[in-house]
Amino acid sequence: MREMKMGGKRKRDEGESAAAEEEREVNPQSNKKSQVLPSTIKNKDKRAAVHSKIKHEKKLAKRKKQKDREAKEKKAMDLGEELPPRPVPHTIENQRVPDETICRLDDEELFAGNDADEFSGILKREFTPKILITTCRYNSTRGPAFISELLTVIPNAHYFKRGTYDLKKIVKYANKKEFTSIMVVHTNRREPDALLIIGLPDGPTAHFKLSSLVLRKDIKNHGNPTRHMPELVMTNFTTRLGHRVGRMIQSLFPQDPNFRGRRVVTFHNQRDFIFFRHHRYIFDQKEIKPLDGKSKNKEDKEKKEKKLGKVFTRLQECGPRFTLKLVSLQHGTFDTKGGEFEWVHKPEMDTSRRRFFL
Amino acid sequence: MPRTTTLELPGCPPIRALTFDILGLIKVIESRSAVTEADANQPQVVTASANITPKVVETWGAPDKSRCILNVSINDRKSDPLLAVARKNGQIEVLNPLNGEIRASETLEDSSDNPISGLHLFRKENSGLSSRSCSLLTCTEKGNAILRSLEIGGSLADSSDGSRKTWDVCSSGNIFCSAVDGNEKYAVFGGKGVEINVWDLESCTKTWNAKSPKKDSLDIFTPTWFTAATFLSKDDHRKIITGTNSHQVRLYDISAQRRPVISFDFRETAIKSVTEDLDGHTIYFGTGGGDLASVDMRTGKVLGCFIGKCSGSIRSIVRHPEFPMIASCGLDRYLRFWDIKTRQPLSAVFLKQHLTKVVFDSNFCDKETVTAAIGQGEKVQEKEEDDEDVSVRRKKSSRENDQEKQLRLKKKKKKPVQQEVDSNDDDEQEKQLKPKKKKKPVQQVVDDDEDDEQEKPMSENDEDASLPVKRKKASSEESEQKKKLKAKKKKKRVQQEEDDH
Repeated sequence: MREMKMGGKRKRDEGESAAAEEEREVNPQSNKKSQVLPSTIKNKDKRAAVHSKIKHEKKLAKRKKQKDREAKEKKAMDLGEELPPRPVPHTIENQRVPDETICRLDDEELFAGNDADEFSGILKREFTPKILITTCRYNSTRGPAFISELLTVIPNAHYFKRGTYDLKKIVKYANKKEFTSIMVVHTNRREPDALLIIGLPDGPTAHFKLSSLVLRKDIKNHGNPTRHMPELVMTNFTTRLGHRVGRMIQSLFPQDPNFRGRRVVTFHNQRDFIFFRHHRYIFDQKEIKPLDGKSKNKEDKEKKEKKLGKVFTRLQECGPRFTLKLVSLQHGTFDTKGGEFEWVHKPEMDTSRRRFFL
Repeated sequence: MPRTTTLELPGCPPIRALTFDILGLIKVIESRSAVTEADANQPQVVTASANITPKVVETWGAPDKSRCILNVSINDRKSDPLLAVARKNGQIEVLNPLNGEIRASETLEDSSDNPISGLHLFRKENSGLSSRSCSLLTCTEKGNAILRSLEIGGSLADSSDGSRKTWDVCSSGNIFCSAVDGNEKYAVFGGKGVEINVWDLESCTKTWNAKSPKKDSLDIFTPTWFTAATFLSKDDHRKIITGTNSHQVRLYDISAQRRPVISFDFRETAIKSVTEDLDGHTIYFGTGGGDLASVDMRTGKVLGCFIGKCSGSIRSIVRHPEFPMIASCGLDRYLRFWDIKTRQPLSAVFLKQHLTKVVFDSNFCDKETVTAAIGQGEKVQEKEEDDEDVSVRRKKSSRENDQEKQLRLKKKKKKPVQQEVDSNDDDEQEKQLKPKKKKKPVQQVVDDDEDDEQEKPMSENDEDASLPVKRKKASSEESEQKKKLKAKKKKKRVQQEEDDH
């Protein structure tokens, strides 16, 4: 009985929608005005009907648009004309809220500021970085494994057991031993979840949230890195803050890459998330096989050796994979109580999904 | 739906501000209506737009890290204004704030580990000295205070000038903050390990010294570390406002007691700057975490926070002497202008470097009478806009309040004791906000409003010259006072309106 009723209703709905569609085709503009939002309808059945109707219409419109475009393209192909430009999809990145702090290359003050900042010594190769890596008080399972991989990634890094020392004391010690930065890997529930980078002697302190960590052994077909100095790729650090954070990360690595090692460390910023990747690359050339496989002369053989195709690169991932998100950037070394922040994330700053800070 | 709120910046009245940064650059920011520089001197017909966004007009100096500006003091009298600037390398320069010309300079010895932490340029004319000199009070971090006079426009760096008084403010510890009162007879110093102390500048003697507050309920003694200090009102040298590194704001009353009269915590970062309002009881303070708030010091209640994407430590706050606005700057490289009454941002200027100080040049309008007149007209317009925006803003603020409440709820679980105070504050805010909005007349002539402001503190100051120690009584009294004042104000306004009609 009930099924019957429901079926009946549905049928009626469909009939209605069909009628509505016809109406729309006759006079689309008036219909647009009279359209009601489905969320304002209180009856669930009717609401669902209207909603599904709207959805269906949208689908049809989209399909029509697609077909039109394809037809146009085909026509252009046939006539040998230039293809009509494909529309660029809207993404969050290309709709980013305009930011006045984005660095420009012609900005002299920016470079003056760079020369004066805490990292310029390292980045000008006046001295090489020396990193102290330590952990939070309690550290187990993935924490040590992550640190051992960090040690292979960052040259001239030294691991020190945290023990029960205060971080401020560690900062003092590291200053005395002429370290240039301290990295603290913070673990929570046996899982690394935060990274603190302290610039020494008076550099800033950056607090990152660390997420989606994949260790080397969990990466398929991973390679084992060599001890060559890595090349560094930093992308998308565009704003003034991003620039500063980028320079801070850059100052962790020595600035003389050994290109023989073909080892790349990438920090890629996208939507304020900094993605870390570690790769080894190799240049490869595919041989082009001669068309007739039965060449016997020596000359032919030599030719065959020279007949090499395009150079392309192959990548092999080696080393951990993780994502960082900046939580705060503090002026001076680690000081939670009296510290001054250069940037802290505050909820009132999240005014839009399309607003980014780095 | 994504949460998208746009922060509209209505623009500010015509102002001129100077900012100082860690590279030793001085930037001049002016907001003036759309007039090109070429015809600025001629009488112009100006298309008055409601929004004038301030812009960087000039930049003085070359970027040099060692010339980082630590402290600034301005004497913005109408004729021959002066600006004193203390740099990291121990140099003190006296500039002309109109064109950046160096009028005098002097270098301190052994400045590498003993930077200048306090600087004051005296406004009143020294009778004994020639008119072509200015007197300066400097204080280094280790406590060497020097009162000296510099020849203006004379040969540079003649430190062997006649009058020069030197004394030590403290034997140990570091001086981080200093202030000179409105009559320029007393100076206050404080810092790390140095309790607030008041000095008589004429005789160079210490007249008063604060006592450190008692241990708290857990028997924990917080070491003294003052980071900001100022006098509560211009005429009264007895009330001193200080901010501490342990995120406390304190009010000392010399005539009452040696311990603070009012002391309250504000959030979790050090108070980095404190500025008094002209009305004699409101103060503005900024923290190391980028929070800016105003407090009524008669009650010690937070009136409200200035919210607007301010993300870096606030190093300096200045109150404009005429317009109801303040400017703040700090490590987030922005100079921001705020409306005092609505606590909304008026505009923000990105200045590329970490800023250390900001000052207003208050005589900017006097020079160009045309723009000044427009400015007033604009102010009225702005008021209208504000009234229109009230509904929107209310919505926003309520949302923000909700957010804060949620946050607080989360926090409450952790720290129930501390947050109770805050929530009270919140209630207080709302209470105070509501009547304000009701009170707002539709159109207000600006000058009248300012008169009101000036009258208000006078009458109140007479009634409570020495701040009461017991808060409850005080608050009840004050609420009565407020009611009376409100009634008075309303009457006045009605009269005005009638007159207008």
